[in-house]
Amino acid sequence: MKDLFGVVAVFDTAEAVKNAAARLRQQGYRSFEAYTPYPIEGLDRIMHPRPQRLLPGLMFAGAVLGAAWGYWIQYWDEALNYPLNVGGRPYNSWPAFTVGTFEFMLLVAVAAGFFGMLAVSRLPKLYHPVFEARAFVRASRDRFVICIEASDPRFDASAVRREFEQLGAEQIEEVRA
Amino acid sequence: MTMTLPSEFLPDAPVVAPDVTLTSLSEQVSSRVLMDRAPLWWWIGFAISSALFTVLIIQMGWLFIGGIGVWGVNIPVAWGLAIAEYVWWIALASGGTIVSALFFLTRSPWRSATNRIAESMLLSAAPCAGLMPIMHLGRPGLFYWLFPYSNVMGVWPQVRSPLWWDFICLICYILMSIMYYYAGILPDLATVRDLAKSRFKQIFYGILALGWRGSSEEWRNQRIVYAIMSAIMAPMVVSVHSVVGLDFAGGLTPGWHDTQFPPYFFFGAVISGSAVIMMLTIMVRWGYDLHDVLTGYHFNALAKVMLVGSVMLGYAYVWEAFGPIYGSDVAERTEFFQRIFGFTAPLFWSEKILTIVIPQLLWLPLVRRNQLLLFLISGGIIVGMWQERVMFTTASLEHNYMPSRWGVFFPTLWDWAALAGTIGLFLTLFFLFLRFAPIVSIAEVREVVEAERSK
Repeated sequence: MKDLFGVVAVFDTAEAVKNAAARLRQQGYRSFEAYTPYPIEGLDRIMHPRPQRLLPGLMFAGAVLGAAWGYWIQYWDEALNYPLNVGGRPYNSWPAFTVGTFEFMLLVAVAAGFFGMLAVSRLPKLYHPVFEARAFVRASRDRFVICIEASDPRFDASAVRREFEQLGAEQIEEVRA
Repeated sequence: MTMTLPSEFLPDAPVVAPDVTLTSLSEQVSSRVLMDRAPLWWWIGFAISSALFTVLIIQMGWLFIGGIGVWGVNIPVAWGLAIAEYVWWIALASGGTIVSALFFLTRSPWRSATNRIAESMLLSAAPCAGLMPIMHLGRPGLFYWLFPYSNVMGVWPQVRSPLWWDFICLICYILMSIMYYYAGILPDLATVRDLAKSRFKQIFYGILALGWRGSSEEWRNQRIVYAIMSAIMAPMVVSVHSVVGLDFAGGLTPGWHDTQFPPYFFFGAVISGSAVIMMLTIMVRWGYDLHDVLTGYHFNALAKVMLVGSVMLGYAYVWEAFGPIYGSDVAERTEFFQRIFGFTAPLFWSEKILTIVIPQLLWLPLVRRNQLLLFLISGGIIVGMWQERVMFTTASLEHNYMPSRWGVFFPTLWDWAALAGTIGLFLTLFFLFLRFAPIVSIAEVREVVEAERSK
């Protein structure tokens, strides 16, 4: 028999899953995750009380880096490597470099955000044990799923099952992977 | 006593039909992607589009063999349809980002169902825009010399030119738009993956969805990044189209050399972009039978954006006329009068009617609800904006400072082939988006559905 990955409960409203998450957290469970069809206001604060500062910071760093890169390319081009005298204007004609700098800044910021989002969410990850749950396919459609993982120190399959029953889960299932 | 027009939308009118549920929404939108056989209209449309795309290939072949003399461009009118259509296409594309990014920031509920159409349109139109200036180069194969890369020739581009800025803007814009599109579509691809029945489709969409599970952590990261991306894309698209305006404003040609062109061009992007989104939304709604999801609310909102675009553009036109008439530059004035009464007069006046006069009908709530009228008005706006770009580009060159160098531009068959061909490329790409990617942002409409349910 395959190892137990966790116990999955299916809820039918966003409110129910939010209540369940708050309750589980109160009881001291830590290794659990909610899977929902759309982002639920307030759920992320229950699941992850610490604010996510890494991604905005990453995008800001990308913007600074992109601006520096964009300006440097133009400066290197026009002032150092291939100086062209255009009507006696200074080689480092910064007003003309602003557009290129701006575009590179935004490009690198967006790229940092996009790839940062994937990296922080640990994507791409084509397989995850929770995919084994039969009810899971509906988490991307119309149901709200919570999975308590067996790695949780407080994990006890029958206790978890009872807990979910009390919380009004529509369906409860053990996930083996 | 306040006066309310009987057919005006109430502020709390439903955005989607009341019978749409989370279940029906996901199944309805995904089934358009997952159906085994595309509907007949899709095949007919795709066949016509690919036929037009073939015209583009033939046109490009002939152009690259014969040089750009096969077009109507000449001296003095060295910028002809290709440059005008570049501006036209990039304006249509920009409209996609305006609807999708700007109205994400304002949290407009109608944006949720139309943003994917807008972004698919933008990703289909941007390549058409990018092709135009490349085809217009004397040696198109060397277009990459514009990119600042270290090369053995020791040659670097001249970065003080608006034309170079434009190149950088377009490259950055396309790359950023792809990332913005993908960041938004990821949850929907997961929905399609989970609904797919055949093994091939499960694997195909499984790979595209990158293993998205919809965990609260993923949602949080996606939302943070998507919001910041929107805040970046909105000024980005203003910069892209403003720089297109600078291409002209930077030229010492009467009619072009004007500081108002960056916003002037951007206003054109607002109206023509929202017009093409309107047409596509109406067609998608009927073709894919998404009447519940794309409702009168969306058309009402899009029509208002179009109306605002039209009013802004009218304002820019007033100043375009005021400058030459009030100023003392004889060449500016001569060029302007030639433009409005000379060879380009038919283009000028019919364009004003199509983009400024007729859209004023949108003040009437009745018109904003009538899809046929909206479709016709939008089509008129798109044609009108094409005329505007063509007239703007050629009329100035036709009447430059020296009367002995005046000339006329007349498009040849190959000019028209380039136009038809890029329309073919656009439609081909859009039909592929329609077939293989969810055309409505399912994840975002879910929030609208839930918000309405709890109202």
